[in-house]
Parts: sequence; structure tokens; C-alpha cells
Amino acid sequence: MNRVVNVMRMQLTNRWIFIGIPLIILAASFLLTLIIWSFIPNDGGVRISGGSQAVMWYFFALGIQSLTLTFPFSQGLSITRRTFFLGTLSLFSLIALVTAVTYWLLGLVEQGTGGWGVGGSFFALDWIADGPWYQPVAFYFAVMMALFLIGFWSATIYKRWQATGLLIAGISVALALVGTLYLIGSRNAWPEVGAFLGSQTQLTVAGWLAILALVLAGGSFLTLRRAEP
Amino acid sequence: MKTIIEVTDLTKKYRKSEALRGINLALEPGRIYGLLGRNGAGKTTLMSILTAQGFASSGEVRVFGEHPYENERVLNRICFIRESQKYPDSFTAEHAFKSASLFFANWSQELADRLVTDFQLPLRRNIKKLSRGQLSAVGVIIGLASRAELTFFDEPYLGLDAVARQLFYDRLVEDYSRHPRTVVLSSHLIDEVANLLEHVIVIDQGRIIMDDDAETIRGSAFTVVGSAEKVRTFLGSREVVHTDNFASLASVTALGTLNESETREAAELGLELAPVSLQQLIVRKTMSGSPATPEAADRTLSEAAR
Repeated sequence: MNRVVNVMRMQLTNRWIFIGIPLIILAASFLLTLIIWSFIPNDGGVRISGGSQAVMWYFFALGIQSLTLTFPFSQGLSITRRTFFLGTLSLFSLIALVTAVTYWLLGLVEQGTGGWGVGGSFFALDWIADGPWYQPVAFYFAVMMALFLIGFWSATIYKRWQATGLLIAGISVALALVGTLYLIGSRNAWPEVGAFLGSQTQLTVAGWLAILALVLAGGSFLTLRRAEP
Repeated sequence: MKTIIEVTDLTKKYRKSEALRGINLALEPGRIYGLLGRNGAGKTTLMSILTAQGFASSGEVRVFGEHPYENERVLNRICFIRESQKYPDSFTAEHAFKSASLFFANWSQELADRLVTDFQLPLRRNIKKLSRGQLSAVGVIIGLASRAELTFFDEPYLGLDAVARQLFYDRLVEDYSRHPRTVVLSSHLIDEVANLLEHVIVIDQGRIIMDDDAETIRGSAFTVVGSAEKVRTFLGSREVVHTDNFASLASVTALGTLNESETREAAELGLELAPVSLQQLIVRKTMSGSPATPEAADRTLSEAAR
């Protein structure tokens, strides 16, 4: 257990990468959005920005970074693969949770200040911010974990089977997607699919993403178990 | 417990080659082992498997009596920084040492600080920007300061200048005598490390070809220096390992031991007896199994030594 915590501390040795940069991305995308809003004529309508997703994409990059070079280093420090996996995943779950709560809190501020005084919508987007507090938090958290794990598993596949592995994995995913589209199309099921997607709340989407994240985590662990630094 | 590492019939096959072919070893605690061999002989592969960083194709490995794979009881007591060790991109040497101090129970920050001064290592510079020698120094410092019960050094001197290499050897011996542990030092600079080693394991093309006490190996041959003619007469039909000629003088290394009367005879002939170079012995031994000519390999080893 102690070593799992130490893996978290090792990943955080350089705080800049895992805490500083996400904060800067968040602050920069928010400030840029404010600037853009300031020169759009205010007709009293709502101004919506998707800028808040910038940090979430950074989680994909973090997933890759936290494995590619830190895993070989952890092997040099005689850390087992299991401990490395548990520590890394725990740390990023924690970071994702803190980020999700931050988004929700900033969303409250946004709603309380009439959209930063200009009717803007950056954190508290419609649909996502609806409902009780845990719904948006669960949604943000699940999105970030899924993105992080996609990066983490890809990096693990690369570490274990190099470019060949990544190529095969990429082609398989593309084939699965195309196959699904074909199945839906061939059965004329698009209206049903549309209805299904339209009926989702942010909480059910969070649920689907959580299932995806669990599958990704399991796959990452099994891949990592036989990876060499 | 008598052995710290036990290896039985270990093999490692890659798609097109065999890196290890039936390795059998038993290492005792509290000694300095030299794992010697040419580039590509299988040194790093063997150490990777012993530390569970790599995987064997077949065979048995026991470290501290257990299999090391995913085994914290075993791994907690081991340190193995590989020659091509990777560090996180954003790290400085200071970050690397801080991380290492979290995981090695016997970590000595004092020793690490002293070594940083010795090697004049820039602590705050990004690791990516360090020179090859400075990068090696980072690995050497982690290895020494970890004071792990079982420490592996994988060609730790790459890029280090002569002064830094001597510093490493001195600090190793110094700290080892104060804090006894088991050290496995892989190297192809045989002459440089020869004096440190208590036991020598030579690996060639994935096979162990020598596994003996350093003293025993040194005693298995001798060097005679003197006028070429007299040396030749004195040696008679003994098997010669190595010959160096300077003008009419010769320095010849031959296999076997000398008894008292032979030693006296050498003195009467005005011949000088000198200790034998471990490197020459090993080169000779390595040659017999490989297709290259002795001269070529001798050159390879002495070039590597530079």
C-alpha cells in the first residue's frame, strides 16, 4: 500500500506537468473565451463556449506521458507492474475527481454571476450542468478517465508490441466502428439509434463511459503485466 | 541461506536469435561479481530477467529464494539501473534521486549528495539535456546510494571520463566495505574493473564460459618478461595465451602454474614474473568459441576500453 502511495508521489515529482499545465490550459482557454465574448456584440442572448473541454483532452496526453517514460523508470526503481498501475491510476482518478469538482464549482459561480456578467456559458453548459451536483461531476469524471485510459492503454500497447501492436489495435477499433455503422444501416435502425441517443442524460452517458473506462483499465493492466521497459 | 541468486537452465529466445542458451548460476551474498562479456553476449538480458524487468523463455530463476516477478519481497531488495535507463522527460537528476529515495529503504541521501559533487552533476538541468557521461552518473548514483542488498550495475561507465570512472570504482569499494551487499557489475572493460572483482562470470554468445573466483582465474596463468629467446626456452611447450614484443624483449602469458624450482629457474635466467591480466585470459577464452580472430577481438576489447 505504502508503495502505491509512493508511485503517486513519484508521478507527482514534477508537479508542473500534472498540475501546473492543466491549470494553465484551463485559465488560458477561459481567458481567451472571455476576450472573444467581449468583442461579440451583446444582443442579450446566451454565449456558449466549448473551451472547457481543452483540459479534458490534455488527460489523453497525460495518459500517454504517465506510461511511456515513467514505466521504464519505475522498473529501474524495482516497482512491480501492479504497484505502478495501481499508483498511477489512483493518482489520475484523484486528479480527475478534483478537476470535475472544480468544473462544477466554477459552473455554480458562472450561474451565480449571470454568466460572468456577460451571459456566457463556459463551465455550466446546458444538459451537462442540469440536475443535482453529482450528475455533472460524474459526467466530467467519466469523460476524463476514459480519455486518460485511452492514452494509457495505447502507450502500453506501444511499449509491449511497438508500432505493429498500435497499428493492429487501431485497425481493429476502426473495423469495429465501421461494422457497427454497417449493422445499424443494414437494419435501418438509425431512427431507433437516434431515439436512444436522444433519451440519454449526462448520468447515463457517464455510466457508459465508466464501463468503457473499466474495460480500458482491465486491458491496460493485462497488457502491462508482460510489458518490458 | 547460502545463495542469493540461483539460475537453472535459463534460456531467452527472440524471434530470430537466442540471447541466452541454458544458463546455470549460483551467486553468494556479500561479494562483488563481475559479469563480463562482449557487446551482445547477453549480459543485460540476463540481468533483466533476474530483476523481473524481462521475461525468460524457459528455465528457473530464484532471487532471495523466490521468483522475482511481481514479487515485492524480492524486488524491494534489488536495484538495477540499466545502461539505457529511461527517465521521465520532465525530470531533472534531482527529481530522479527524490523518486529513488521513496523506494529504496536503505537510500543514503548523504552518499548521493557527495557523489553529485564528485561527478559534478548538474542537479537542476533537464535529464534530456545531460551528456552521455552525466546520464551514466545519474544511474551510478542511484545504484550506489540505494545501498540495495543486491545491486546491478550495467556498464555504468559509458561516456564517463577516466577520472569519473576511477571515482566510481573507489566509491564502490569504499561504500561496499562499510555496507556489505552483493554487487553484480557488468562490463567489457575487464582490466579496469579486474581489481574490484571477487568472482568472475564470463558470458559469451548466451553461454557461461567462465564462472570462478578472480584469484583462481588469475592463478591459472602467469606472465614472463625478459629476452625473447630466454622466455621461449623457459616456457617450452606450455600453452601461450598472449605475447607482447618490444625489440628483443618479450612479455608472454602462459597457462598453468609454476612450482618453486621453476620460479627459481626463471630468476636465474633473469626473467621477471608478473601477474597476469584478467582481460587477456578472458579474451583468449572467449576467442576459442567464436569465429573471429584473436587479434580482432583483442582490438575490440581494447578499443572499448578507450
